[in-house]
Amino acid sequence: MSVPGSSFSRRLAAIAITVGALVLAGCGGDSTDTSTSKPSKITIAAVQGNEDAALKAIAPLYQQQKGIQIEIVEFPYDQLFEKLVTTFQANAASYDLVMMDDPWMPKFGTGGWLTPLDSTFGFQRDPDIPSIVYDVGTWPPPHGAVPPAAKGQEAHLLGITIVGNVEMFMYRKDLSDAPGSWDDVLANAKKFNKGNMAGYVVRGKATNPVVADFLPILWSFGGDVFDDNWNPVIDSAESLRAVEFLVKDLKSVAEQGAENVDAADRSRLMAIGQAYQSTVWPGEITEIVENESVSKVGGKVGYTPIPSGPSGKGFGMMGNWLLGIPKASKNGQAAADFIKWLTSPEVQRQYVAKGGIPSRLSLLNDPALNEQNPYFAALAKSLEAGPNWRPRTDQWNAVETILGTNLNAALAGQVTAQEAVQKSAAQIKDTMSQAGYYG
Amino acid sequence: MADPIAHPVGPARPAPAPARAGRREASERRLSLLLLWPVLGVIFAVAAYPFALAVRQSLSAQTGEFVGLDNYARALQNPLLYDALEATGVYALLVLPTEIGLGLGLALLVHRMIRSTAVKAVIFVLAVVPLVVPPVAVGVIARLFYAPGYGVINQVLMRVGVIDHEIGFLSNPVLAMLSVASVDVWQWTAFVYLVLFAGLQTVPRETTEAARVDGAGGWALFRHIEFHYLRPLFVLILFFRMADVLRVFDHVFILTGGGPGSSTLLLSLYLYRIEFKFFDDGQAAALAVTVLVVVSVLYSLVIRVLPVEKG
Amino acid sequence: MAATLLRRRGRPLAWLVLGLTGLVYLLPLYWLLVTSLKSKAELYRGTVTLYPHAPTLEAYERVLVERGFWMLLRNSLLVCGATVLVTLALGLLITYPITRLRASPRLRQGVLNRALSLRFLPPVAVVIPYFAVVRTAHLYDTPQALILIYSLFNLPFAIWMLKGFLDEIPAEIEEAAYTDGGDRWTVFRRVLLPLAAPGLLASGIIVFTFTWSEFLFALILTATPRSQTFPVGVQGLVTQFEVIWNDMAASGAIAMALPLVLALLARRYLVAGLTFGVIREK
Repeated sequence: MSVPGSSFSRRLAAIAITVGALVLAGCGGDSTDTSTSKPSKITIAAVQGNEDAALKAIAPLYQQQKGIQIEIVEFPYDQLFEKLVTTFQANAASYDLVMMDDPWMPKFGTGGWLTPLDSTFGFQRDPDIPSIVYDVGTWPPPHGAVPPAAKGQEAHLLGITIVGNVEMFMYRKDLSDAPGSWDDVLANAKKFNKGNMAGYVVRGKATNPVVADFLPILWSFGGDVFDDNWNPVIDSAESLRAVEFLVKDLKSVAEQGAENVDAADRSRLMAIGQAYQSTVWPGEITEIVENESVSKVGGKVGYTPIPSGPSGKGFGMMGNWLLGIPKASKNGQAAADFIKWLTSPEVQRQYVAKGGIPSRLSLLNDPALNEQNPYFAALAKSLEAGPNWRPRTDQWNAVETILGTNLNAALAGQVTAQEAVQKSAAQIKDTMSQAGYYG
Repeated sequence: MADPIAHPVGPARPAPAPARAGRREASERRLSLLLLWPVLGVIFAVAAYPFALAVRQSLSAQTGEFVGLDNYARALQNPLLYDALEATGVYALLVLPTEIGLGLGLALLVHRMIRSTAVKAVIFVLAVVPLVVPPVAVGVIARLFYAPGYGVINQVLMRVGVIDHEIGFLSNPVLAMLSVASVDVWQWTAFVYLVLFAGLQTVPRETTEAARVDGAGGWALFRHIEFHYLRPLFVLILFFRMADVLRVFDHVFILTGGGPGSSTLLLSLYLYRIEFKFFDDGQAAALAVTVLVVVSVLYSLVIRVLPVEKG
Repeated sequence: MAATLLRRRGRPLAWLVLGLTGLVYLLPLYWLLVTSLKSKAELYRGTVTLYPHAPTLEAYERVLVERGFWMLLRNSLLVCGATVLVTLALGLLITYPITRLRASPRLRQGVLNRALSLRFLPPVAVVIPYFAVVRTAHLYDTPQALILIYSLFNLPFAIWMLKGFLDEIPAEIEEAAYTDGGDRWTVFRRVLLPLAAPGLLASGIIVFTFTWSEFLFALILTATPRSQTFPVGVQGLVTQFEVIWNDMAASGAIAMALPLVLALLARRYLVAGLTFGVIREK
């Protein structure tokens, strides 16, 4: 018993260390994925909500046919972007496929986080799909302003569209004709803004929602966020007019609490007959507005491309959701096979039957399908007319946060439209300058 | 004089047998060092390594090159920082007095008016409930009350006819702040109540009775007797709650995400936004390091006043 | 005089105040439960119903099975359980020398003080550097990363609680065992540990309750149901693209259930838990 303590200390430490080791080693550990040619499971990171509903519905079919399990991990919109960036930064193999909103492409492309689909997996352009759809998944972008850092790089296809979203316009066709211009929209809104019904639903929630709602209006009025050299022009005269149109004119005939309304509320208001018109994404149409189990206005809603503004044109906005393959994924080939399967014409038909939004013109112009999905014709028209896309900058998330916060504040009456655009222009300029856009 | 705060009389050490006192002491000391130092060392390393990483990140640009205090300067020049500090300050001013006032009032009420132990037990159980509901769940509940469109407060008020259109709880900056503050009050007043109630239990019955016999009214009773027992508790509550206000995140994140605009962008949410929305690693690290240093400094000042064991 | 008058008249007033307070506390919980029992169709009505007209468990089933939240539950149980084990083990390793051995008082004070300071740190300031560590160590999207940081954050609490419990056990009991010829290890195992067991249990339950609710680190450090915990799932249902309030409410109710039960079991120690053992129920 000369050193009674040492055996004690040894034992106690041994127990603690064993416990710790067991705990750390026993739970999971880094799954050693020996890259077999056929994995048992593919993991897709997807956006929570209407947009991935069809994907979730069609995935079991793949399992049946090919025997590979599809795991879909969902996140709300904002979080999906953050989660993807953090996962890419961690170079983790957590996801084999990622669902991306097209404005995120620049950041992912610049970061070099996605596997080129054309050179690595042999994807080619299918003539049945409008070329703009492929353009939106290509980095650097084939037309429009290109960030200075990406100029001269070889263009690669990084994402394939699985949700052929183009922002459109919906209105109660049983109450009036289609609006041809935003002046018509305002006139109709004033006429029908009474009682329970809002003349126009403003999707005003801060950052992404309000910006998505606003950009078509901005472009139709002849304004824009950037010029060709990435200088902000959100404070130009046309842009200011567009902002005023949103926060004054449309707001005056809009629903209460517009500053907090997002897409789901907007469609819900339409579905229960408390809204007259608004911009809309096709996903909302299939899941809510034309969904018999929840909608009271089925068959009463008409769909058109975005009305024209003082610029003379109406600019639809692309909001495609694409599937891409992270470089860090261990199941690249299996992921590519899945994409090819999903976008093949036969599967696309079943995809549409489950509420999916195709980008194949053959399906969009199919009369039978048009009966069930009345907006297909409008969607085809919008795609062929060449819709606009959001500025192709890897700083878009920051820009959208700035613009969205200021627009939201203007909607809430906290600042004037003038102040909102000036603040936005200054903050955006600062961000772009920090990111090295001005040399 | 009973004291609610645990002041132990010092470590209970088995007294060594007199014959082997010296050897026992030495081996004990050796054992304690053997046990303590490696563990403490590992813990320190685990805690210090990220801090060192953060410091390095705060001094570098996105590309990795050393830029000195540039990130700190940018952090201080960011106007949003001051919005965040202001929001945090307003939040603290809203919740702290309310929670302390309500908690004290309820504690006094129950202590003086309620005799039945069964009722007190029930109240105790009820008070425990809000404290252990996960903040995300509280956030969900708050959304069910305040959210536009389906928030039940608006629905009920409209149904009854008090208002004819929705109150923008989450879209009006003032109301949004009140909404998130109300959630905090709902959750943490119980904490104040429990602590103060325990404190009131330690006030000796005889002293109170004697004072009453002498004709002391409710207020005098409080001021001269009860407050004396509660004062260290107030200090403790104040500091714990203030620290918590700096850490608040979950329910605000769910309820408003920092909006509208930046009116509920509390400090934690601000740091989150810089790191995970703007992906500005350098600025976020600079902010994190600053916050950690400031909190540590404040803590070492505060600990002297806190009624805890000083060893 | 006024005092006794107040006391007599005041009693019904006191009951009223207490009743209202009780209502304010129970109403939100009631509403959560009620919403979780509504069907999807009922949510789409024009006006909100104050009680479920056709109560159904479909939301719970959808949350746990269709959305796969049972995996998140499993992860939460795993992470919290492991954290409790690690924290208690390390906590004992640290408090035993402090309370039973001749550790210098300065060391004891230093450890306790530093431990308490962690209670005051904003987690978001820690998550930013910790994320960098997780990245380098390839621990992204693993339960281990969470267990590690949770243990770190809860260790100070465990230290303070265990110190308090150990301090209360009189030295004489162990002394008697020593004179009976026992060595330190046996005394520890057979005498001290059983006496400290209630304290260990209470601390363990409180640590479990705290880590169960943790959200921020789980949000940032996990990516798939391999390691995501339940609170992450709850937050994920708060989305504005769909009207799924009943699912949202159901997930909130499930998240609440376990900590509620545990806390009621260990309620005597809850205040101690929240004040780091500074305030102890005797």
